[in-house]
Amino acid sequence: MKHPENLVYSRSHEWVKFIDETTALIGITDYAQDALGDLVFVNLPEVGDEVTSGEPFGDVESVKAVSDIFSPVTGTVAQINEDLLDAPENLNEDPYGAWMIRVEHITDKEELLDAAAYIAFYESEEE
Amino acid sequence: MVRRLSVYEAESTDPYRNLAVEEYLTYHVQPSECVLYLWQNQRTVVIGKNQNAWKECNIELLEAEGGHLARRTSGGGAVFHDLGNLNFSFCVREEDYSVERQSEVILRAVKSLGIPAQRTGRNDIVADGRKFSGNAFLKSKGCCCHHGTLLIGVDQQQMGRYLNVSPEKLRAKGVDSVRARTVNLRELLPGLGVAQMKEALLRSFSEVYGARCADAETENQAFSPLFADRPDWEEIAQYERRLSSWEWKYGRKLPFEYTVSQRFPWGGIELCFHVNGGVIQEIKVYSDAMQEQLARRLEECMKGCAYRRNALLARLKEARLDRENEEADRQIRSDIGRLILREVMK
Repeated sequence: MKHPENLVYSRSHEWVKFIDETTALIGITDYAQDALGDLVFVNLPEVGDEVTSGEPFGDVESVKAVSDIFSPVTGTVAQINEDLLDAPENLNEDPYGAWMIRVEHITDKEELLDAAAYIAFYESEEE
Repeated sequence: MVRRLSVYEAESTDPYRNLAVEEYLTYHVQPSECVLYLWQNQRTVVIGKNQNAWKECNIELLEAEGGHLARRTSGGGAVFHDLGNLNFSFCVREEDYSVERQSEVILRAVKSLGIPAQRTGRNDIVADGRKFSGNAFLKSKGCCCHHGTLLIGVDQQQMGRYLNVSPEKLRAKGVDSVRARTVNLRELLPGLGVAQMKEALLRSFSEVYGARCADAETENQAFSPLFADRPDWEEIAQYERRLSSWEWKYGRKLPFEYTVSQRFPWGGIELCFHVNGGVIQEIKVYSDAMQEQLARRLEECMKGCAYRRNALLARLKEARLDRENEEADRQIRSDIGRLILREVMK
């Protein structure tokens, strides 16, 4: 399972890639996509919507369940990855290429983990 | 760890009310508690959260015969409910969620009646290779719901009529249903009734979760009283309003294209609606009618309109499709109106 060093991670299994201090791409981790199973549908917010750190911004449907996806940051949705609406399986196949939303005007974020700390976190959670 | 088992049986057979109660139970289940909710709906087609209603269900026929279409918040495909079907829901916090264990309650109950049953990889429970239970799941805000159907004596002929639609005119994003051969448990165990099935489920629920339900407060009874206070019917009514709204059932952001066509004495016409969020975002009209502006005028008339029969008819009433010949204009609008009446829902 891959967890790139240049990203930071939330305890609810999203990754965050900061483009600058107040702009970031958000997606789900390799660990998350594996746990969710094959994805068949993605519900994303709309451009202009506010997202709040720790609150769901969308959900995904897999063969196992409909599950919330949480925002690790507070800000405004600047762009959504519309390709995912046609190809949700991209989240399984390329979790770090398949970003879900780009958030700008970030004013707050939860405590995010680097790759090593994230791996240690989910390994401890599994025990 | 589950230490407290609660049971709630629905009093209503209204699908929106029952789904609203389920949502309430899902978000109000306590830590260490597992709620088993048993409910039945009058003639209803229930589609998955991300399905296209028109693609999955013959809504016109269903509603004409007094049935309802409902959309649930979990995933998966379309199912048919009537009073020959019993629904179960397990509501539990995420840390106590176990599809294996919850499914074991169902399997054990059915086996206790002498019916051999097993789970399939596709979230179904089958007997004799035929499906009698379809299961779906929701995880939201740390709360989980695992629910499913139990076909006991469902009218399979009606099920086939309502779920049998003609999708060639409709191209939609969203989740498609997977067909399965179904079987009523009553066919495998003649005389089986809903009450008997409920009893078997309650017994099995308490057996699978074992001694854990016998905490100090409830030593002498199998199940804890469900609510410390009465359920909050106001909150339930709020969920019910959303679940029964046109916006939730038909207006979700699940884009689809629907094409209808017909030939009339004045020419042939094809309307291709691009709908999203219940609104006609784009419409393409093709026609070989003499009125060369007809297609463009129809497009202008219908674009941005709600994808609902009466809204479209109201727009059509205001349109002028043939500006030279009033008689032809009336005829064309009346013909297209009948086409909409037939093809577009209320």
